[in-house]
Amino acid sequence: MAVVRRDILRDDAARAAYIHGVRLLKHEPSSLTTGSFGIPGPSRPVYTYDLFVIWHVLAMNTAVPPGGDAGVRNAAHRGPVFLPWHRVLLRWLEAHLQRVLDDPAFGLPYWNWAADGSPAGPGGVANPAASPLWRNTPDGFGGQGAPVRGGAFAFRAADPTSFRVRIAANSSGALRQVTERGLVRRFGQSAPFGSPRLPRTADVASCFDPKADPSVTDYDRDPFDVSSHGLRNRLEGFVGPGLHNQVHLWVGGDMAPASSPNDPVFFVHHCNVDRIWEGWMRRNGRRYAPDMTAPDSLLGHRIDDPLVSPFAPADKPDTPRGVLDSTAVNSYDVLP
Amino acid sequence: MAPDTSDAAQPAFLATYLAGLPRPEHGHPGPARSVREADVDGHRIVIATSYEITVDGRPLDVHIGLSNDGSAHCHGLPAYQLPSLVDLVRVLVHTFPDEFPPPTTGHDDEAGPDTDHDTHDHAHHDHTAHDHTAHDHSEPDGGR
Repeated sequence: MAVVRRDILRDDAARAAYIHGVRLLKHEPSSLTTGSFGIPGPSRPVYTYDLFVIWHVLAMNTAVPPGGDAGVRNAAHRGPVFLPWHRVLLRWLEAHLQRVLDDPAFGLPYWNWAADGSPAGPGGVANPAASPLWRNTPDGFGGQGAPVRGGAFAFRAADPTSFRVRIAANSSGALRQVTERGLVRRFGQSAPFGSPRLPRTADVASCFDPKADPSVTDYDRDPFDVSSHGLRNRLEGFVGPGLHNQVHLWVGGDMAPASSPNDPVFFVHHCNVDRIWEGWMRRNGRRYAPDMTAPDSLLGHRIDDPLVSPFAPADKPDTPRGVLDSTAVNSYDVLP
Repeated sequence: MAPDTSDAAQPAFLATYLAGLPRPEHGHPGPARSVREADVDGHRIVIATSYEITVDGRPLDVHIGLSNDGSAHCHGLPAYQLPSLVDLVRVLVHTFPDEFPPPTTGHDDEAGPDTDHDTHDHAHHDHTAHDHTAHDHSEPDGGR
């Protein structure tokens, strides 16, 4: 039976379970150490939550096709697989949360950031930093800080059970160990360092409005990169109002580098991105591009190409086609 | 007991898979090089650009990429695509302060993305002044 993913600000139980589950994964040994992943420095245990940081960094450093330039397109970003690959990442985190929570009905909650980014009424001014998400209480994510000192993911140097960042990416995108430190967030920095605002409801609506942009009825278009027109690139944020990228920039701090899954808000942010994609597919069908007639230069992004995913048996690897319809596994309480 | 690497529900399964992935190469010695390609009227355009970027006199060992519209990006900042390469380097310096220690005083603390070095939270910083200088010796696209 499919689990239901709910609004993290409208479902206190889902938010509490997510926070509890993340903290459990953050302290669960994965069985391997940093040396197993080629991370320089002394050998230290790698915990389950931090595997998702490593996975994100490795995928976005993986050029597809092999031998290509990961800065042009990679296995996680800047091309058509952006949405399918992150859907797989979310599914794996959700499964591990279900396991440690001993709750197979747990659904990963989503953060409807456009609601926080929109004024409450006509003529009003949005104040996303005041969202209840950032409450400095045990049921909140804490606000900004360097380190974050409130909420469920606060850093307390003397408390080894408090939230810590252990593995991060450097300026080259390479994995590195950090002396255990707290999470960093810097809300609303001005350009070029960040974004002063979150996307608004109207920005999300632009993904569904062919009158504003006729290309949004297509999933993606040639040249299938950061200059493309279509839903994928508008939602990823390299064209249009910014959307996914803008949320990373607005939160700032640990949400900026390749190791952005270090911030637990990463997953509820991407769950909302996935929800918007699902809303687009409800309107436009479970369509994807490019298909397998695309040239080898798009290998890794075509509909039946394997994703960088552990589900990689030769007979049925995870592919974009294979994850287009995940309604048997999860669904959303509300689609945009 | 050995961890179960065959049960997908166990962390050892994901860990073992990730440990087996190819290791990306991150060393980019020498000037940053970007190659842009395009076609027009049956002709092939290739624009190769080299940058020598230093911060406080030290070479910046970061893979900089340029898109065909002239905007700049790098692996370290996946959600950024900036019209100015100078701005991209400014963001790198700001985001990874431990990689860019102050030129006049050394420090060896291990900070994270723009981690404060004192015990106070600063909600806002003055981004108009920086101690670091990025030298872009080969600006394409009208200096962007």
